[in-house]
Amino acid sequence: MRKRIGWFSMLLALCLVLGACGSNNPNNGNAGNGQGNSVPDSTNTASSGNEKPYELTVAFVTFGNTPADIAQVQEEISKLAKEKINATVKLLPIAIGSWNQQMNLMLTSNEKLDLIVTGSSATFGYGPQVAKGQLLPLNDLIEKYGEGIKTAVGEEFMNASNIGGSIYGVPSIRDLAVNYGLLIRKDIADKYSIDLAGMKTLDDLEAAMKIIKAGEPDTAVIAPGAAGQSIVDYLMGDIDRLGDTFGVLQNNGSELKVVNWYETTQYAELVKRVRSWYNAGYILKDAATNKESIGDLIKGQRTLAYVANLKPGIESQESRLTGTEIVRANLTEPFAKTETVTNIMWGIPRNSSNPERAMQFLNLMYTDKDVINLFDWGIEGKHYVKTDTDNVIKYPDGVDATSSGYNLNMGWLFGNQFLSHTFEGDDPDIWNKLNEFNQSAVKSKALGFTFDTAPVKTEFAAVVNVLNQNKMGLETGTLDPEKTLPEFITKLKAAGIEKIIAEKQKQLDAWASNK
Amino acid sequence: MMEQTKKRGIAKRYARYAPLFLMMLPGLLYLVLNNYLPMFGLIIAFKDVNFAKGILGSDWIGFSNFEYLFKTRDAFIITRNTLLYNGGFIVINLVVAVGIAILLNEVKNKFMARFYQSVVLLPYLISMVIVSYLVYAVLSIETGFMNNTVLPMLGLGDVSWYSESKYWPYILNLVHVWKSAGFLCVVYLAAIIGIDQEYYEAATLDGATKWQQIKAITLPLISPVITMMTLLAIGRIFYSDFGLFYQVPMDAGALSDTTNVIDTYVYRGLMQLGDIGMSSAAGLYQSIVGFVLVLLSNFVVRKINKDNALF
Amino acid sequence: MNNESRVWQWAGHFIMIVVAIACILPFVLLLVSSITDEKTIIQNGYSFFPSKFSGTAYVYLWNQSEQILRAYGITILVTLIGTTVSLAITSLLAYPLSRRDIPHHNKLAFFVFFTLLFNGGLVPTYLIYTQYLDIKNTLWALIIPGLLMNGFNVLLMRTFFKTSIPVPVLESAYIDGAGEFRTFRSIVLPLSLPIMATIGLFQTIGYWNDWFNGLVYLNDPKLFSIQNILNRILTDIQFLTNGSMSTNASQGLAALPSATVRMAIAVIGVLPILIAYPFFQKYFVKGITIGAVKG
Repeated sequence: MRKRIGWFSMLLALCLVLGACGSNNPNNGNAGNGQGNSVPDSTNTASSGNEKPYELTVAFVTFGNTPADIAQVQEEISKLAKEKINATVKLLPIAIGSWNQQMNLMLTSNEKLDLIVTGSSATFGYGPQVAKGQLLPLNDLIEKYGEGIKTAVGEEFMNASNIGGSIYGVPSIRDLAVNYGLLIRKDIADKYSIDLAGMKTLDDLEAAMKIIKAGEPDTAVIAPGAAGQSIVDYLMGDIDRLGDTFGVLQNNGSELKVVNWYETTQYAELVKRVRSWYNAGYILKDAATNKESIGDLIKGQRTLAYVANLKPGIESQESRLTGTEIVRANLTEPFAKTETVTNIMWGIPRNSSNPERAMQFLNLMYTDKDVINLFDWGIEGKHYVKTDTDNVIKYPDGVDATSSGYNLNMGWLFGNQFLSHTFEGDDPDIWNKLNEFNQSAVKSKALGFTFDTAPVKTEFAAVVNVLNQNKMGLETGTLDPEKTLPEFITKLKAAGIEKIIAEKQKQLDAWASNK
Repeated sequence: MMEQTKKRGIAKRYARYAPLFLMMLPGLLYLVLNNYLPMFGLIIAFKDVNFAKGILGSDWIGFSNFEYLFKTRDAFIITRNTLLYNGGFIVINLVVAVGIAILLNEVKNKFMARFYQSVVLLPYLISMVIVSYLVYAVLSIETGFMNNTVLPMLGLGDVSWYSESKYWPYILNLVHVWKSAGFLCVVYLAAIIGIDQEYYEAATLDGATKWQQIKAITLPLISPVITMMTLLAIGRIFYSDFGLFYQVPMDAGALSDTTNVIDTYVYRGLMQLGDIGMSSAAGLYQSIVGFVLVLLSNFVVRKINKDNALF
Repeated sequence: MNNESRVWQWAGHFIMIVVAIACILPFVLLLVSSITDEKTIIQNGYSFFPSKFSGTAYVYLWNQSEQILRAYGITILVTLIGTTVSLAITSLLAYPLSRRDIPHHNKLAFFVFFTLLFNGGLVPTYLIYTQYLDIKNTLWALIIPGLLMNGFNVLLMRTFFKTSIPVPVLESAYIDGAGEFRTFRSIVLPLSLPIMATIGLFQTIGYWNDWFNGLVYLNDPKLFSIQNILNRILTDIQFLTNGSMSTNASQGLAALPSATVRMAIAVIGVLPILIAYPFFQKYFVKGITIGAVKG
């Protein structure tokens, strides 16, 4: 026995050594910061020095395959960056499915990263990253090097990522607000002469579904816009979820009063209505467990329409995905809240040994047309060519979407999309419309508030599980709310939802008084 | 003087076994590297990790990372489900895998024997996500084989499988045994093959029936393997096959009464929180319970037959 | 052949055929789905007798054949190296542990067993492997972490050695002056072919099916094994169909292969293992007895 103890203490000692090394690394990073500061404080003249250019590692998310020509695009971007800020870039694409795991580990082990994608969703985990001290506060860096970012994003949206007085992420410029509505096959809408422009309320929607169902008894009329989401998720257009729906603001966040969403009459009426739709056969039968993408559901004729998040230009995007022409009806007005802005952002991890350069490069991503278009569309002449219309591009001859060597098509990610070209066939005026959409959106009073779950994490884990057990069933109409809703509310309370709501109100009040 | 001879005796004894220790060296080194060094991470369970301070520099927070595992109504359900399923799996796997192994050993036709051996391993090779598609092909409400073919044939109405939790204990047990029995049966088959044929020849001469031979020779002789496999399974009784409980029921909330186990509860609860302290806490809790159970059962095994004990 | 054994044969075949069908049918479904027309699957679900067949999934894979072949090559290489090294160090550790005469053999067994229950978690493991061994984005990342040897196999092998190698044989070898390494090579190994084949098979399957190391330690797609590719597609699809991130991200779905392609990749991922299996079966032979070794 004594031997074993000796052995364990040896092991422990070894661990302590290792652990100490592990925690030393961030200090090395700080030493790097010091060096960074000695670089001339100018965005323009950096290239004049003979200093070796700094290589920035830029990690971003991809879907499916990594483009074949990414190395060439990287080289072109590096050329521009070297000229302008004496830096080169190394692009590090990571598949969405591995993002969470890999990014967590890379941040933890202090691997070299200078710019990363972050965001409020669970996949990107902005809140936890800030709480764990993995991202650098950006305020000072933006003051010094990010003038262009500030103008491009705008004060209000800039502040959305504020946590405890500092911002740790810069939102990419894309749709920063959301409105909800119906997307429907054009042939169906035409066949039954559905008045989409006049469809404003749930009653209108219900009436339209009734007509369609009568003519198409064999298929469902609507499905949720994505697997894993419910119908109600797309009907709560005036709710500010404050991140997680445990404690929400009603009426477009016009008042900073946190309420239990699941106990409101609005919620009760919604699930009741959805249940009646389900019983009438309007809703996809296995909506609660469906794992097929909405594109496949439309293609396979399982449903004819769906409720979804909308934005300008959504019709052409969805038409491509579903392989048939899609038209829309708006059920709510555009609404901007913290999560719609902070959904996708760029941050500088503490791993960066030269945050100044990283910020300078980020500034390019919001101001430099050439850099942005390289990210968004690749190399001119190789991956796209200009058309006669200003700012409209198309594939070169003999190249199409599948054969192109660079077809990320993720302008919404790489900084300022409003400076990028538009593709032939899309609305050439789309960026103005999108800007208009963002600016005109109703803004929640809590825009800029991010809830810190740490004080109530025990309750949070329990409430998430209760939610998971009932949400999809109730909100797709599969379960009868008469019976399930009261049980659901009781269970939420037992799991501690009221403590979360109280904590949220407390944080919100403190946030509001500091604003 | 006495001391010295004793010491020399020990030295001599070690010298004799030096080659054996040398043999073990690569394996032991690997365990140190791959398993023991990372164990410093166990302290994460008691920390509020902040990487600005480093893992060691983060604040100690006692047991508060563990609270979420107990302070909920679900705690009872997930613990019960985990224990019942794993307990069931241990028994069913044992019976089915040993049974198949014995049958495989009896089949005289060489070609067929090899064919069966290959085929029972097939399910083990298919990833759980793909298995979940296959199960869905059977159980889907609209297009599933059960609702479209089997139930109408029996004159029964549709069942919405993914919202009726009462069927799932059977479904999950079935899927599990289907997927893992082939793998386990290879172990038992190897053990049975290792049995000296002379035993059986002698028994046949004595006029023992096949059944008697199985009871009197095969089972007792593979009992060390059975014991070891069972002990190891007991050690992991608080862990569960995540894919089986998460992917196969399609993450359907309505089934959580009978499909939520500790691993899925932790996964769902922490998805948004992203708290490594809390996930380490869950792992440590599972390990310790398993550890205590194995120590207890190993103690019992030792009492019965010292040779069969793990250590 | 007497009556009793005939009954056993028939019963054995009968039960095994039922079991075999239960194991094969789902695989057939997988195979049929991979050659079903995409639209038919979405509309009618998976079926043994689809109304419309299509080879598009395999055409798609054929077009990616450069990537797929490379992944195959990596999988095979990793599996071969991994399994060989693994068998060597596992048996070298298990054999001494099985000896009751070796000092501290119980403590050593406990040392092995302990690793089965407790682990530090992914983060510390990752730190050790990337910061001190620097295996990120190398082939070693697919071979070393977690897979090379595990306590379960060691303990399993130890139990076999304990039961199938009679102590007197070892003792007489020792008296004859054979060194431990020679005894191990010329007596222990030949006597334990079935268990070596079993562990070899487990390791082969383990390496062949592993996607986790690739997920954690690789972001260079050039090093992906076949399971990494399949897993990447499956997880990407799960994330994207769950539109919880952004409407923008769902556009990425267009770039991902369809349900039939997933099935096709699963099929081509499983087949080689089935082909390799008879190789291991060769060593599943009855009647390796002490006499055979001595003679």
